[in-house]
Amino acid sequence: MGAAKQAVHADAGGEIDVSVVERTAAAGRATAERKILPIVEGVVLVAALLAPLVLQDYLTVFATRVIILALFALSFDLVWGYAGIMSFGQALFFGSAGYGVALLARDLDITNIFLVLPAGTLIGLTFALLLGGFLLLGRHPSSVIFVSLGTLTGSYAADRLARGWYYLGGQNGIPSIAPMSLGGYDFTEGPAFYYLVLGILVVVYLLCRFLVRSQFGLALAGLRENEQRIAFFGYKAQHLKAIIFTIGGAIAGLAGSLYAFHEGFVWPNMVGVVVSTQVVLYVLFGGSGTLIGAVIGTVIVEGVSFWLSDNYRDIWPIILGLLLLLVILFRPLGLISFVLGERERVGSFGAKPKEKRNAAP
Amino acid sequence: MANAFVAAFEILSFGAIIVLIVLGLGIIASMMGIFNFAQGEFVLLGAYITYLAYAKGLPIWAGMVAAPVVVGALGFVLEALIIRRFYAAPIVAMLGTYALGLIIRESVRGLIGGFYLTVPEPIGGSIDIGAMHISAWRFTIIVITLLVMAGCYLLLSRTSFGLRMRATLENPSLARASGISTPLMYGATFAFGSALAGLAGALIVPVFSLYADLGLRFLIQGFVAVMVGGVGSFIGPVAGAGVIGTLSAALPWVMAPVVADVLVFVLAIVFIKFRPQGLIAGKGV
Repeated sequence: MGAAKQAVHADAGGEIDVSVVERTAAAGRATAERKILPIVEGVVLVAALLAPLVLQDYLTVFATRVIILALFALSFDLVWGYAGIMSFGQALFFGSAGYGVALLARDLDITNIFLVLPAGTLIGLTFALLLGGFLLLGRHPSSVIFVSLGTLTGSYAADRLARGWYYLGGQNGIPSIAPMSLGGYDFTEGPAFYYLVLGILVVVYLLCRFLVRSQFGLALAGLRENEQRIAFFGYKAQHLKAIIFTIGGAIAGLAGSLYAFHEGFVWPNMVGVVVSTQVVLYVLFGGSGTLIGAVIGTVIVEGVSFWLSDNYRDIWPIILGLLLLLVILFRPLGLISFVLGERERVGSFGAKPKEKRNAAP
Repeated sequence: MANAFVAAFEILSFGAIIVLIVLGLGIIASMMGIFNFAQGEFVLLGAYITYLAYAKGLPIWAGMVAAPVVVGALGFVLEALIIRRFYAAPIVAMLGTYALGLIIRESVRGLIGGFYLTVPEPIGGSIDIGAMHISAWRFTIIVITLLVMAGCYLLLSRTSFGLRMRATLENPSLARASGISTPLMYGATFAFGSALAGLAGALIVPVFSLYADLGLRFLIQGFVAVMVGGVGSFIGPVAGAGVIGTLSAALPWVMAPVVADVLVFVLAIVFIKFRPQGLIAGKGV
């Protein structure tokens, strides 16, 4: 009797299991067909395009700053979200590029957009190559802890250097940088600067999107999940890491030079720990491992802090800390994971197969 | 001669302060594998509690005794509620403790405003040795640091509590199988490390005065010291703290302070790169 009952139970259990599996598979197919990620990206792009038309002038200036920071967040997301390298010193590349272009503008009167932006990118790239090469390459693979603390220390040391070096303006930084120019036109704060920055963000975003969906991106995702296994497959894991770290540094440098010209001044915090951790906040909030998550996180954190800081200036950082803690504890994949399934976040890599595999004859 | 003596004393007392701050950080990093970004804020809390006692008219000593107890208790609660979830993932632990630190730091900033608040030294005046004067309080800090160091060492190496703690560090599953409650040990270790940070904050507040970014200043120096010394033992981080503290205090005497500041970090990172196991690699205590 007991055995029969158990058998019935097992039977019922088996049936339920099968139906659950079928249903999940069906749901999986459904989400695979109706992709959410492109929709999210499209909505964000349209919103960004329309923003200056509906925002007041001072809000457009603020929105420009947010877009530049989103570009910066993208660089961190590439390094942490895709390759699993914790760069706690991303501001080092952002800020040093800012200082670099500020010096170009102050001492050499170079403000041409086609000179300063590549120069800033190059500065970020060089610093990232040097620091990343030192921290990541070598006979023994470096531990995660060493890389994260090493980048953090680098950023902190740069902050101290900028504060103490008279040539870089010391505590006050470099004020009143001349505006970026194109021929006779000066880019000052406003819609033109906004669309310039937005255009750059879209281009960089598309490049990153191509990069992380390529075979290279697949190797990076492997690094993030299990570095040792990737090394056993014959990939040069450390080289891959150094490459992506350098690319991240270059993007951060581009963002930093835009930021310097947009704000019109640079100051030591820009290379320091404060900005370094800020960018970590953006990406964790939005969702690391998705490019759009970095952008959304930046917009949300900056937007809410702009909105709240008028009324609740004192308690806003406390709320931010609490929210961050909650996200880390309960939503490790960030806010984007509310709308984006795991399958789509991981996505597919390389060229799409010509025929659909499940389109059976 | 007198100058050299004063310099040596300055270096020694700063080294002692760094050792005091790193002790808690090192114990948590070595025993639990967590780099606690909130450690600086535990130092800040200790300093704040001391200030609070002083502002309420209590003797400063009372605040200094209360600080480690309160901060240790807070550490125990935080470990049980939050830190416990992070053991498997060291990077997530960094971020989570960073968020905790942010909450504590900004709360204290809200409470004290953007001010630098001073707390008088409980032992004022100076000790005169011939023509030389050294600050009595700084001398007391050195003495207390030595006592705390010796106490920690004895606790870890001579007591059954220390034995269980080290067993938990060495092999958690075997420790559990031997009947040691590892969650309790982790909680106790974290509380102990926090209490040391609270004590450090309480002792240094008369020297550095109280401001919201007090802890941040020492946090990175502390991390570097732990890495230089070597994670995994008690002696390692202490030795690292001694080296880093001495270098940070000594180099500005021979070169421009800006260069010295940066040079310490560069030297430390280069050292760790080529000797990842740190100064003292052995297991030991």
